[in-house]
Amino acid sequence: MREYDIVVIGGGLAGLMAAAAATKRGKKVTLLSLGSGTLTIGGGIVDVMGYLEGGIPAATPSAGLLQVGDGHPYKKIGRPAIEESIRFFKEICEQEGYSYIGNLDKTQWIPTAAGTLKPTCLVPKTMDTTELKKADKVTVLGFDALKDFYPSLIAKNFKKIPAFAQKEYEVVMVDPKLSEGRDVTALDVARWLDTEEGLASCIEKMRNVIDSGSVVIIPPVLGTRPDYAVKEKLEKALGCHFVETASVPPSITGLRLRTMLVRYLKKNGVRIVEQAIVAKSIVEDGKCVAVITEGVDRERTYHAKSFILANGGFYGGGLLAEPGKVIEPIFNLPVEAPTDHELWANYSLFSSEAQPFAKLGLDVDEKMRPLDADGKVLLNNVFVAGRNLRGYDFSFEKSGNGVAIASGYQAAMSV
Amino acid sequence: MQKTTVVVIGGGATGVGILRDLCMRGVDAILLEQQDLAYGTSSRYHGLLHSGGRYAVKDAEAGKECIEENTILRKIGRHCVEQTEGFFARTHLDDEAFEGKWVEACAKVGIPTIPISVEEALRLEPNLSPKIKSVYRVPDAAIDGFRMVWQNVASARKYGGRVLTYTTVIGIEQSNNQVVGIKVRNTLTGEVSDIACDFIVSAAGSWAGEIAALAGINVNVQPDRGTLIAFNHRITSRIVNRLRPASDGDIFVPHGSITILGTTSASVNKPDDTVPNAKEVVELLNIGEALFEDIRSYRMLRAFAGTRPLYSADPNATGRGASRGFVTLDHAHDGLKGFVSVVGGKFTTYRLMAEKVTDLVCGYLNVKTPCRTAVENLVEDTSPALMAKARLYFPAYGAELAASRLGSEGLEKVIARIQEKPEKRQLLCECENVTMAEVEEAAADSTSYMISDVRRKTRMGMGTCQGAFCTFRSVGAVDANGLSWGKDTNVLFKEFLQGRWKGIRPILWGNVMREMELTRGIYEGTLNINGAIDNEGI
Repeated sequence: MREYDIVVIGGGLAGLMAAAAATKRGKKVTLLSLGSGTLTIGGGIVDVMGYLEGGIPAATPSAGLLQVGDGHPYKKIGRPAIEESIRFFKEICEQEGYSYIGNLDKTQWIPTAAGTLKPTCLVPKTMDTTELKKADKVTVLGFDALKDFYPSLIAKNFKKIPAFAQKEYEVVMVDPKLSEGRDVTALDVARWLDTEEGLASCIEKMRNVIDSGSVVIIPPVLGTRPDYAVKEKLEKALGCHFVETASVPPSITGLRLRTMLVRYLKKNGVRIVEQAIVAKSIVEDGKCVAVITEGVDRERTYHAKSFILANGGFYGGGLLAEPGKVIEPIFNLPVEAPTDHELWANYSLFSSEAQPFAKLGLDVDEKMRPLDADGKVLLNNVFVAGRNLRGYDFSFEKSGNGVAIASGYQAAMSV
Repeated sequence: MQKTTVVVIGGGATGVGILRDLCMRGVDAILLEQQDLAYGTSSRYHGLLHSGGRYAVKDAEAGKECIEENTILRKIGRHCVEQTEGFFARTHLDDEAFEGKWVEACAKVGIPTIPISVEEALRLEPNLSPKIKSVYRVPDAAIDGFRMVWQNVASARKYGGRVLTYTTVIGIEQSNNQVVGIKVRNTLTGEVSDIACDFIVSAAGSWAGEIAALAGINVNVQPDRGTLIAFNHRITSRIVNRLRPASDGDIFVPHGSITILGTTSASVNKPDDTVPNAKEVVELLNIGEALFEDIRSYRMLRAFAGTRPLYSADPNATGRGASRGFVTLDHAHDGLKGFVSVVGGKFTTYRLMAEKVTDLVCGYLNVKTPCRTAVENLVEDTSPALMAKARLYFPAYGAELAASRLGSEGLEKVIARIQEKPEKRQLLCECENVTMAEVEEAAADSTSYMISDVRRKTRMGMGTCQGAFCTFRSVGAVDANGLSWGKDTNVLFKEFLQGRWKGIRPILWGNVMREMELTRGIYEGTLNINGAIDNEGI
């Protein structure tokens, strides 16, 4: 029987960060991952705290952290650990040659594909808005046949944002000729730019429509690899600044971040098991002894001293919703939820209030161990991280990847 | 000031049926709809083209009308009808004595019922509960309410019919006890205008009482709310009715790749009380289990509710106790000439209702042309040549769907858009196979003012993802073509997603919850369409 120090359940950002922090502490780690988590859907932008209750923008991520309510994961984790986790994340990025810019003391307002700005904390350099803010004239570049990006919509909407209203916008299109009768996504364009021929061809096409010295807003297509080679080559050849927008799935920025973190974990000896569906656990005397995965072939049992539960919320499958109740399927941990299902959700999908259902999740102590309704620790060696935590609506407050990083880090440090 | 001979109020099946009938008889007419076409009850029901079996015992007249109209609509509206046939299945919970009464009553009004063995029924419909006791085949069919309304309008337009959507009636103008015009307000712009006319026909369904009240006339329409569930599976290939006196949750209707389960019944005060709730959904699932035991394992798409326009001369009759027959009220008897309300009835008999009303109106107008709505098809069949052309541009499955949705003329126009810009063949809505070209075509129609209007015309956003991906794309595509109706794109996003949310909120568990977290993650989390921007902080 092989026994690991830590088994991490979940391959999203919370699980990856937990595994990274655990290896840094010299632990032997196995990571069980069902899929690629939500990184490739939600994206590689690290939101920490954008909006407070009532929809009021937080002055800075740091200020936002101080204003969250008692039930919020940030409150449990505490500020020092949050700061350390962000520092640790940035360190990994730096070390892997894909550094992120930003810090907790400044909100970065980055452009989105809907022509809005969104508040965030850390972004890859492809989303650096320094030059965009200074520019008087901005080019918005789209790709023919890319049905997930509409440059004119961005240009029109930026005109309505006071800080961006004085700028002049020009919309240009480049035809990558990728369609061949099928649908084209940002991933196709990014893969095209990954190749030398694609990049050279794109530079030629771009030269015809953009002037040297321009600031160019583009969809997130600057290569799928976690480096800045595509961005640097394009900028050098054309003498321009490119700014990627936050955009709809598939998320290229999330793909890059995941590729980088997985590479980092493998280098550091983490064993990663893909397609692992964790179905149940073996618990003895208030401690988890092992978890069992069910695959197409057979059951496998993973023993460890400690377990980090980072398998997501409703989206990832870490929590299951039924009329009037929520189930945590691996340990059957309790989740407090209104039995009257009408109380789960607001009548307005979007409003100045967070959605009650989004705040449903597991209650934990400051070490991220699961609690029962009376606040008693249920399992001594299980630590919870990520979207299955109770008390935050990541969509509303813009805090998703921030909570993932901080709680993943805290869970690993608590082991 | 606009002028016409007849103003028809109500853009549901009955209203558009009347518009078509009038125009085909050469009478100039304008139809007014307070929202979009088919916004009301005509799209908020299970989409069952009744054989009449459901009404045969209690209301033989309604049963007879159903079977006759069923036969007609299968012919004239065949692009809206899926000829599924139906089962009446008695479960172990249902009264055996009713079965004999039902068979006899169906025979009496001419509804064919063919008994089959339970084994045969289970062979044909394997998902049915093996506990069922007896089964009959009946000529039920599935009918697409949206499409039926649209194709009636398309036909009426060919004969000169005009349609004004998002136009609400605020006054009925009279002079010497005779209708002379109607005062309307555009609900989008707030603009008020008058239309001169000789005749007003109210086919406002659940809203008929409110319209009549504008002329000081009392029409006792009791809105009766019915909630339904759409499942993302073709649970059954045939309509399945429960063989018992009409009650809640006893009809399953397959439509393409989905199945609708309905309905509940509850009297409500307001005709637009159509927000479903979780309690109704759970009740429907509990009842539906008798026919399909695995009902809880099927993925739901949404819940929705409509209000039946029950009419009774007796102000105390409500719910299923009220008649489902229809009545034409000539308000000349109330002292106002040139005003008629048609109330009660059901989708299956819309054409007959329209014919009766149009006969009455034409009598007053001294128009002798006979009704031809029962013999002339709503839209022309798509020619094999055009279908061959469509297959060059649409995915194999999508070509058939698009042809039946659009009709010949619409299909031609969409193909022309794709020929002009080939990338417009891309599927903007993957769930329902809707191309970018089709969305643009629907958006350009004079009755479209928001993305939900495009949805009703194309089915975009009505599949599994309920707008998670196509909302962004449709707003983008519409805006890029200068068709965004002068609206802020964030307003368009929110309007569409809020409409989808209305039906998702009452079923927010299982995979529906997962899908919703994805949708919110995209629009609120990533695209921040809802967040205030701190201009000082940028």
